[in-house]
Amino acid sequence: MAVEAVQILRRNRPGSKAKDFCRWPDEPFEEMDSTLAVQQFIQQTIRRDPSNLEAILKMPEAQDEGVWKYEHLQEFCMELNGLAVKLQAECKPETCTQMTATEQWIFLCAAHKTPKECPAIDYTRHTLDGAACLLNSNKYFPSRVSIKESSVAKLGSVCRRVYRIFSHAYFHHRAIFDAFEKETHLCKRFTYFVTKYSIISKDILILPKLDDETPVGESEA
Amino acid sequence: MKIPTAMDDSSVSHHNGGQVGSQIGVSVNNKQNDEPSQSVQYSIPGILHFIQHEWARFELERSQWEVDRAEFEARIAFLQGERKGQENLKNDLVRRIKMLEYALKQERAKFHKLKYGVELQQGDVRPPPEEPPAEPEPAERAQWKQGRQLIKQYLQEIGYTDTILDVRSNRVRALLGLNNEEVENPNYRNYDKQQHDRCDYSMNHMVRKYDYGKEPRKSGVSAGGGYNEEGLSVQETAAVFANFEFLTNQEMDMDEIDDLDAKQSHHPPGKQGEEVDHEAEEVLNELNLLTEREADGGGQGDEYPVGSGSSGGSAVAAGAVAGAGEADEEPLALGELAQLTVSNEPEAYDVASANKESFRKTWNAKYTLRSHFDGVRALAFHPTEPALVTASEDHTLKLWNLQRTVPAKKSAGLDVEPLYTFRAHTAPVLCLAMGAPRSEECFSGGLDGTIRVWNLPPPTADPYDPYDPAVQGAVLRDHTDAVWSLSSAHGRLLSASADGTVRLWAPRAARPLLSTLRADESPTAPAPAAADFADAASRAAVVYRDGTLLLYDLETGQPVLRVACDSPAHRVRSHPTLPLLVTAHEDRHIRFWDGVSGRCAHTMVAHLDAVTGLALDPNGLFLLSGSHDCSVRLWNLDTKTCVQEITAHRKKFDESILDVAFHPLRPYIASAGADGLAKVFV
Ligand SMILES: [Zn+2]
Ligand SMILES: [Zn+2]
Repeated sequence: MAVEAVQILRRNRPGSKAKDFCRWPDEPFEEMDSTLAVQQFIQQTIRRDPSNLEAILKMPEAQDEGVWKYEHLQEFCMELNGLAVKLQAECKPETCTQMTATEQWIFLCAAHKTPKECPAIDYTRHTLDGAACLLNSNKYFPSRVSIKESSVAKLGSVCRRVYRIFSHAYFHHRAIFDAFEKETHLCKRFTYFVTKYSIISKDILILPKLDDETPVGESEA
Repeated sequence: MKIPTAMDDSSVSHHNGGQVGSQIGVSVNNKQNDEPSQSVQYSIPGILHFIQHEWARFELERSQWEVDRAEFEARIAFLQGERKGQENLKNDLVRRIKMLEYALKQERAKFHKLKYGVELQQGDVRPPPEEPPAEPEPAERAQWKQGRQLIKQYLQEIGYTDTILDVRSNRVRALLGLNNEEVENPNYRNYDKQQHDRCDYSMNHMVRKYDYGKEPRKSGVSAGGGYNEEGLSVQETAAVFANFEFLTNQEMDMDEIDDLDAKQSHHPPGKQGEEVDHEAEEVLNELNLLTEREADGGGQGDEYPVGSGSSGGSAVAAGAVAGAGEADEEPLALGELAQLTVSNEPEAYDVASANKESFRKTWNAKYTLRSHFDGVRALAFHPTEPALVTASEDHTLKLWNLQRTVPAKKSAGLDVEPLYTFRAHTAPVLCLAMGAPRSEECFSGGLDGTIRVWNLPPPTADPYDPYDPAVQGAVLRDHTDAVWSLSSAHGRLLSASADGTVRLWAPRAARPLLSTLRADESPTAPAPAAADFADAASRAAVVYRDGTLLLYDLETGQPVLRVACDSPAHRVRSHPTLPLLVTAHEDRHIRFWDGVSGRCAHTMVAHLDAVTGLALDPNGLFLLSGSHDCSVRLWNLDTKTCVQEITAHRKKFDESILDVAFHPLRPYIASAGADGLAKVFV
């Protein structure tokens, strides 16, 4: 009993209040022995302060960079569900018949056998569902401890498509974008992430600069 | 003068020529050395005549031998043709056996399913330890070679009579079903016997073999009949019974092959007869054993006929057909047969063991559901279909169809891709309840305090279909904090929330909230952790974070039973038929409560860590529990003993398994984990 009283159990017990969800003392990364340690660490850092991009994207020493990028992309896709939920209420196939950001490009949805001109909301959902399948695929990502170089290469195309969801929201559903961004700082974090690790080229990043989204002196690998 | 004398002598020598052949050479030699006048006895014409005579004789003999040789060659060709025919026959029979075995397997699985309501595990059965050796011993092989030599001698001595050939061809025709009268059998046997007797056999063991071969055959047939009777008496399904009869017929065929074999044993292959005997004896023993066990087995034994019948039958078949082929020259055939027996026996074994210790199923992980980005908090099976819904901390729910799988790499399991992703919650989804059959709806409760009604897309839906807003149903927003537990029955919904209340809903009604159950008005009162309908949905069992268990009357909304417990509870489930409540606790215990008296009926340390998931099977015979110790355990509710433990999930922080479930109709169980996976076991 005494041991249990001292020991911190990082658990969400049924019946606990929403404000107490995951509200436990931080665990040092070195002490995390789970195969999900990187995810735990990233989520823990985000929970502490979602706006502190540098802290969130500061990779622990001796961390495999492929896994680090993979776990971050998982976290982005997961949090993008929140944006998709908001868009579902407003982004209708009747009004947003195509996936566009500026009028320059129409993006084809790659979730289908042959790329399709899906309405924006379908593009958003299909892209997130496809990313969930790919990132959880036992074929490409069988381990969360080490990742093949060929699989790391797949992260880039996911990032490009995911960025279009941000840009569609920004150019067509600005109120939603702003509310979501204020809450999560997700687009800023994402831009910081893809820039820091040069995952997608800068000319694709069409959104105007949001505050302090560019990593200082760390970009341009 | 000279000539007539010589002529006389020559005539004499002609007379004597045949008698003293060896002297001729000598005399010829003498003729060269001595004076010609002295060798009056051997004239040149006489010698020539003799040589001519001898030549003609040898020529005659030679032609006779050639005729003989042609005869033998014809006989060899005939025998080879016959052997080929028998091989074809054997292959055909093996094929038929395999077909029968397959049909039987299907039938057995069907029967098993009908009887126990769960699929029979045919894949993971292990071969029995005592396996009859398929390979002949080296000693046997030497003996066989020896026998072959002897037989060659006999062939030369006795030759083949047309009668034998006729008998043999008749036999072959009988085997091929062209002449399928059993009445003929005794005659043939007698004939065989006569043949045996007539030919003076020095090889006693051959005759003995023949007799041996005969004896087990008879027993085999009678035992087969026994199965048949047994099959009749227990009134198995018609299909099983039909299989049975077929099997007995098959045994008859095999019987005939045995006959043939015994006959062959005094012609070409010697050793085969012995192997047949060996096998047949084993079969006999096995059959005896089975019959004894059948007698002991009593009521439970009614699966025996199916299992043992097939194993016996196939063993007979294997023995017989193995005998028909020549071990030396046809390793392939033997291998095929060996496989045949091996593949069949284990099932009989499995069934036997299943009968011995009542029924006990072993669950094996089959499907891995990976697509959630974060821990899976809850899962619920579709009321009828092989489908389930999972709810995750990644804010989504996913619908999975277990019949739409992608084969996973390097494992026996299958990966399933989700059919649909439900997005509407703005926080982790914590709990889930499936609607009534045919309602095609499910409910989810989240950390965002909402309860959402979902219309399930059809199982044929494509994950990349256009978005259909109609999937989202009503939203119940009365709770003011996280909703941790949902339970559905008779179109009503019971929810437990961190806001301190348990609410009863009619989710489809215009005013869905029916009542609010509150144990204590004070704001510091412990919140409910979980709730479940009890007593045919007339009551609600609620466990609180402090461990208290309350039973509410849903008519009055008042607690009718209160039980205190000192360990925080995570789950409560009510037994489907008995007034029994089961609770899962932080202190690793599972507790059983009498739902009438409130007495603690049983308490047990169930896991190495907090118990987090509880599920009762639809018949109320088994309890499934999950824990943060990463394991799922299956309990026999009657004896409260652990029947199986499965390590299923990895830890994320200090959480592991978050929920477990039974399929209401189908043989599936599932676990949901903090590692973002859900697993389905069959
Ligand atoms: Zn739009
Ligand atoms: Zn699409």
